Amino acid sequence: MLKGNQGLILCILIAIGAICFALFSGDPYYAQVVIWVFTNAALAVTLRFVLLIGELNIATAAFFGIGAYTTAVASTILGWPFFISLLAAPAIAGLISALFGWITLRTKGPYFLLISFAFTEIVRLIYTRTDALGGNSGMIGMFPPIELDTYFPAIAITILAAILFGLYAVERSNLGRVFKAIQNNEDIPRSVGLNVIGLKILCFVIASTAVGLAGGVHAYTNNVIAPADFTYFVAVLALAYVKIGGEGHIIGPIIGATILTIAGQFLHSFGPYENIFYGAIIIGALLLVPGGIVGLGERIKAGTLIGRAER
Amino acid sequence: MELQVQLLINTLQIGSVYVLFALGLTLIFGVMKIVNFAHGTFFTAAALVVSTVMSVSVETAGLPIWFSYLIAFTLALLIVCMIGFVVYFFGFQYVLKDLNGSFILSIGLLLLLNGTYLILYGGVPRSIPDVVPGNISLFGASLTIQRLLLIIVAAIITIGLYQLVHRTKLGLSLRAVAEDQEAAMLQGIPFRRVAFYGFLIGATLAACAGALMATVTPVTTVIGDDFLVKAFIIIIIGGLGSVLGAILGGLLIALIESFGGYYFDPSTATLAMFVLVVVLLIVRPQGILGHAER
Repeated sequence: MLKGNQGLILCILIAIGAICFALFSGDPYYAQVVIWVFTNAALAVTLRFVLLIGELNIATAAFFGIGAYTTAVASTILGWPFFISLLAAPAIAGLISALFGWITLRTKGPYFLLISFAFTEIVRLIYTRTDALGGNSGMIGMFPPIELDTYFPAIAITILAAILFGLYAVERSNLGRVFKAIQNNEDIPRSVGLNVIGLKILCFVIASTAVGLAGGVHAYTNNVIAPADFTYFVAVLALAYVKIGGEGHIIGPIIGATILTIAGQFLHSFGPYENIFYGAIIIGALLLVPGGIVGLGERIKAGTLIGRAER
Repeated sequence: MELQVQLLINTLQIGSVYVLFALGLTLIFGVMKIVNFAHGTFFTAAALVVSTVMSVSVETAGLPIWFSYLIAFTLALLIVCMIGFVVYFFGFQYVLKDLNGSFILSIGLLLLLNGTYLILYGGVPRSIPDVVPGNISLFGASLTIQRLLLIIVAAIITIGLYQLVHRTKLGLSLRAVAEDQEAAMLQGIPFRRVAFYGFLIGATLAACAGALMATVTPVTTVIGDDFLVKAFIIIIIGGLGSVLGAILGGLLIALIESFGGYYFDPSTATLAMFVLVVVLLIVRPQGILGHAER
């Protein structure tokens, strides 16, 4: 599904369509929703990118937050120009992730899952206890410059779409194949002389840099950020997008993010029922539709829709 | 001196709840090779049941407080076992040994159950009356008898579990499955049934912790979630799947929290735990008492 060039061209057309929509729609709310869809897609795709080496990376949420806070500090406290403070986000997120990955990627599976979870919560704790970062109430006042204001939604979508296509390109390259080989059996790449830990760190840093950039865009889109925006729950939702869309192909998380983000717009009024709904969707998707929507498409093609898929 | 004794007693009191919570988590990991992010919901459910039953039986029926608490405690364990039974049969048995699948399932359960608790119980924190009133002083430090009882009960449960795991046939099969599932199955140990028992025991331990915690702190619908991050740190330090590791890790984290929280401040103590984990990961990635990944 969507493996040939036709699929890629279709995706490029959709991205261009979204950018044009943001430029000409004139309704800021709809432009905002489109940006959210792309942000969530970027979160889901970066989460899936680390899944390529077989690790579930809750710290996606932490690096999203680190990117957003870096941009916020650069633009409001340091007064750096728009594009430089935007680019500071991936730089800092990349640096911290290199250090974090160097320490933690020696572990794998449950240990990595738990340590990335703890890291996310502790980074959030640091925000709330640091007065310079606004404590619990967070930071305000990240505005794009006046002359760029009308174009900002288009710029944001362009950057986020570039992240998605960039990660797709890496996945299709030889490097991406090595990442998948590490997931399958890391002893085999090691036996041909590859530095497996180094490659894992590289994969982790690429994903964290990308999600840091998305965080920077998020800071400018929202104008307000708070520690509560960057709990482990961000990664959980990203994982829900991946699972519902299907993790077999990069288009899966994008489809999942689109559907759930738009559905979420209608669910905000339900209060506690909103969480119950998300919980039910996640459990249902896991148990009833393994492989997600992409997997469903492939099963229809293969004619094995009836009956449980192989696990 | 009195201050240090007081802090040590605080350590024991926090630590005893941490140990029970982490023991359940580590036991479930050991037999099922999954991380149960919904573990806090068992804890919360027990605390909510205790608080609800107490308010009915003490205020409406007028039963004595200690008797109501015994009823509440038993009911809490029963209800949590029922919840555990339902979530195991409709969910967890399909994700045995599937780390990512179980993560998603348990997060979904966390959302579902926490939302349900909020609707059933409401968002207002409630406290239960003192089960055993009064204070005693130990080596110059004072503590309520209630907290002393909490420590004693938690210690008895912990020792009981340790005996169960190391002295009984069920414990032997739990350990065998945790060590090597296929070899255990070749010896005729029914893996799925043992996994189910392990899951129920883990849920019951969380329920004990929740029911005990309800006596010393106000009960809310998110009370269990606060324990989750610390319990993860505990089982990483102790080694996933290690019973003794969870006990030592729980006491160590409580010690850092109690002393660090007094001499510095609580967030510094939490950061110190994280630094400890990072250092440990560099030196000994499988935890203090864990086995190397095979």
